[in-house]
Amino acid sequence: MAKWSMVIDLDKCVACQGCSIACRFENNTPVVSPEEAALGRSILWNEVFPLRSEGEAAIASAQAKFLTRPCMHCEDPPCIKVCPVGATYKDDEGIVRQNYARCIGCRFCTVACPYGVRYFNWYEPSWEEGMDTHLNPDRVAGRGDLEGPAIRPKGVVEKCTFCIHRHHKAIARAEAEGREFRNSDYTPACVQTCTAKARFFGDFDDPNSTVSRLSQSRRAFRLLDEAGTSPKVIYLHEG
Amino acid sequence: MPKKNQPLSRREFLKLSAGVIGATATMGMARGLLTSLEAEEGETYLLQTSTHEEIIPTVCLMCPSGCGMLARVVDGNVVKLEGSPMHPINLGALCPKGQAAPELLYNPDRLAGPLRRVGERGSGEWEPISWSQAIEQVAEKLNGLRDAGHPERAALLYGETRGQMRKFFERFMAAVGSPNTISHDSLNIEAAKLGTLFTQGVYELPNYDLENASYVLSFGANLLEAGRVPERMVAGYSYMRRGRAERGKIVHIDPRQGVTGAKADEWIPIKPGTDAALILAIANVIIKTGQFDSDFVRNYSFGFEDFDDNGRNAVGFKSYVLANFDPRQAENITGVPATTISRIAGEFAGNPPAVAIMPGKGGLLSGNLNGLATAMAINCLNALVGSLEAPGGVLTQRYMPCPDWPDLPSDSIAEAGREAERVDGAGSFFPLGKHAYQAVADRIIEEKTYPVEVLMLYDANPVYEAPGGERFIQAFDKIPFIVSFSTFEDETAQYADLILPEPTFLERWQDDHIEGLGYPGVGLRQPVIEPLLDTMNTGDFLIEVAHAMHAPVSEAFPWEDYKSLLQDRLVDVGTDWETLQELGLWLTPGYRFSRRGNPRWIDEVIGRDRKLSPRDGYFDFYSRELSCLVADLDGDAREAMGAQVSGDAFFLPHYEPVNYEGDEAEFPYMLNVVTLMSLGPYSVAANLPTLQEISGMVVGERWGSWVELNHDLGHELGFEDKDQVWVESPFGKLKTKLRLVEGMRPDVINIPHNQGHKAIGRWAKDRGVNGLEIMNPASEPFTGLASFTNTRVKIYKA
Repeated sequence: MAKWSMVIDLDKCVACQGCSIACRFENNTPVVSPEEAALGRSILWNEVFPLRSEGEAAIASAQAKFLTRPCMHCEDPPCIKVCPVGATYKDDEGIVRQNYARCIGCRFCTVACPYGVRYFNWYEPSWEEGMDTHLNPDRVAGRGDLEGPAIRPKGVVEKCTFCIHRHHKAIARAEAEGREFRNSDYTPACVQTCTAKARFFGDFDDPNSTVSRLSQSRRAFRLLDEAGTSPKVIYLHEG
Repeated sequence: MPKKNQPLSRREFLKLSAGVIGATATMGMARGLLTSLEAEEGETYLLQTSTHEEIIPTVCLMCPSGCGMLARVVDGNVVKLEGSPMHPINLGALCPKGQAAPELLYNPDRLAGPLRRVGERGSGEWEPISWSQAIEQVAEKLNGLRDAGHPERAALLYGETRGQMRKFFERFMAAVGSPNTISHDSLNIEAAKLGTLFTQGVYELPNYDLENASYVLSFGANLLEAGRVPERMVAGYSYMRRGRAERGKIVHIDPRQGVTGAKADEWIPIKPGTDAALILAIANVIIKTGQFDSDFVRNYSFGFEDFDDNGRNAVGFKSYVLANFDPRQAENITGVPATTISRIAGEFAGNPPAVAIMPGKGGLLSGNLNGLATAMAINCLNALVGSLEAPGGVLTQRYMPCPDWPDLPSDSIAEAGREAERVDGAGSFFPLGKHAYQAVADRIIEEKTYPVEVLMLYDANPVYEAPGGERFIQAFDKIPFIVSFSTFEDETAQYADLILPEPTFLERWQDDHIEGLGYPGVGLRQPVIEPLLDTMNTGDFLIEVAHAMHAPVSEAFPWEDYKSLLQDRLVDVGTDWETLQELGLWLTPGYRFSRRGNPRWIDEVIGRDRKLSPRDGYFDFYSRELSCLVADLDGDAREAMGAQVSGDAFFLPHYEPVNYEGDEAEFPYMLNVVTLMSLGPYSVAANLPTLQEISGMVVGERWGSWVELNHDLGHELGFEDKDQVWVESPFGKLKTKLRLVEGMRPDVINIPHNQGHKAIGRWAKDRGVNGLEIMNPASEPFTGLASFTNTRVKIYKA
């Protein structure tokens, strides 16, 4: 059983935001209004942002750095511990998932997550006149309800799934082609679209996989490692 | 078979859909199975929600990169776009604009069909008409001009033309009898193209072999955010940094740091508009220390040494640069320390292959003769170290072979019309210019040439995108008939008499030259779904107009429609139409370098596009083409037109101080309008809500505009971050949000481009500000370029 993991090389990343938007169109996250966006209620499962240096608004500074941030799919995810109803869970392959049917919208998890990658639906997601035509029809059923790109109702928390539906499509395709599933069959949308080829995805437990080799790099680090969450998204330092 | 309302296990699904899965793997199962799902604990199921799925290749047009795309079309809906892994520009990747393109396709603000104005111009009152009425009306107007003996009174302003489109437009206008096919290049890339023409002799943007370069000097080329081929530059950058054994070094020279400066090894904040002095000081050090490519300079260049010009001793590049651009002199001009200049020069010459790159679209290279001189200087710097036509250096774009266009029918009216002066003054009033798009407004208002009676606008929104574009509205008062081919009712289309909407790039036939890698390639844009609305490809429309016109114009277009024209034009690319459609592109990969001085060098690399000067295979440090073009103007006449250098320096890359509009004491900052990755250069992108949402990532803004001022200076002046401020130039003022940022010089302010629309649609309109509104609307006197870099502004609290 694979342990899915992502490596992001910040030296290559050019903060183009292709990942953010590939994710939106793959996973049907709604556009929020300018007013809601100003309140920090945008739903981009993989946001890109400048890292603020010390002091107010000292952004785009001479040491400007950018970060692209999907869910870390922690080995020890704090979001799961605080969920009072068991709506969020880690599956057999290490992907931290969300059962929308069970979520009661208490938002404990959004607070518990040290990475800020869990997003609450404050409103019924909506798309203006015809703009819903492009919504991704892919669906997977997880524990009890639809997951992946299925439209989330108002009042639930949603998050990056490592494009779980792509995983299952890849398995189905391999079976249809009468062959074994290969780990390389499965690529999340953000990894596929990355303009700088800065993202890598694969099985962390496979010592020969790109991700496990890159994770040995001396440039490798994990966000907020000290929090003890053991993220499965590993970054590579610039330079 | 499972019962209704029961989920299918993966195995059952496979049995069910085994017959469906073919070349296009169909995923999932029948609709209507999505209610009351009870999956077993711990198991995940894939559900089918579609019956038919296809992957169709096409080419993106959200920016000038022209990335290959694969459209995922499910039950007739475009649900996802991915980069085509076969396409050499993007190598399977896609930027946020390309990813968001379904919002362009399904945009509710698109025009549903052809419209005729019924109210006053600009009143927004329209009535629907049929395409045949539109064709008839345009044909009748053009026939009318020809009957009156004034076909030159038709003009076409165009923006992004892809593949055959530019030649097609030129042919159409030539057949009618007008020289007025006017490109928006003068707003952006023209300085770089002219700089290359006057030195290398090729009227193209240079291409850069970043993959093999050891050292890259970027002069305001914001290669990671905007430019002509941002995707290709990002791919090259990525490979150069981490794809190979040794990491290449990048130095970014720009008053604004931006993403490129942040990612570079070194960012040099230079005083705006002084790049030429820095480049020539680098050349000075390289020459002084003898680190230049002496074989190239001695055997393949003209004007490096002083030379005899009919008995007169003409000053060559070497002695001019040695006499005028000592690093210490340049330090005073550029604000870059002399030691830094010398070090950069040593690194550039000592780390071959090294390449200096210039801005394409969205850069700082326009608006002054200084812009042209800077572009020439960058070309000379590459030549000096032997980086022209060398791995890791500059590559010259080659194109797929196309058959010759059939001769235009003999037509005395058209022949006379084509000889007329252009309305934009390019080639006459602007002796070095090829296009002077923004100048059209003033020249029509001031009646500089002849009246324009029919104006067509293709991907042209001058009211928004030209500095001081409001003047176009005034000019339109003098034009009785205006046709816009815009997909949206944009700022300019509002004032048209007819709007004849073109389908989006996902719904039409168009080819695409693959540019940016040097070697030839062609991309094919094809309708990935049937057009959604009652739109018409402008190519099809103009062919039908030609057919509806009187002979001989009707004979000039022996094609049924634009698609058949493409099939005819692309017959020699090396594959058949079916393959082209299946792959979405065809390439002749692998850049073939030509040896210095051999016939291919002379035909394709050096001097290819020279018209007046010899095609002898010499790179011009001293521009002979330029000297031929201004042969009628003596030194005094040039000075009267605004030249700041005299004698031979005019024909050499040189430095001219920028003539700013606005007194420095009153207006202390240079206005810099920057293009960002998020909204890009094209107006319509501003009406995609997803792009609006991510538009201001670099400073943490969404859905709007801001102006950037140096952080420390802002505090010194008593500003707080996020204050509302007025930005005022001698041409007007704008109110927006102030953001204090560190990565920029204190004498510049930045306003991001592509906000502040007054039309287009619900998401673009009345949001933020358009920095071009307060920009100097004048055109540069020799080249007819827009003045993008010579406006000063002041900022005060609102």
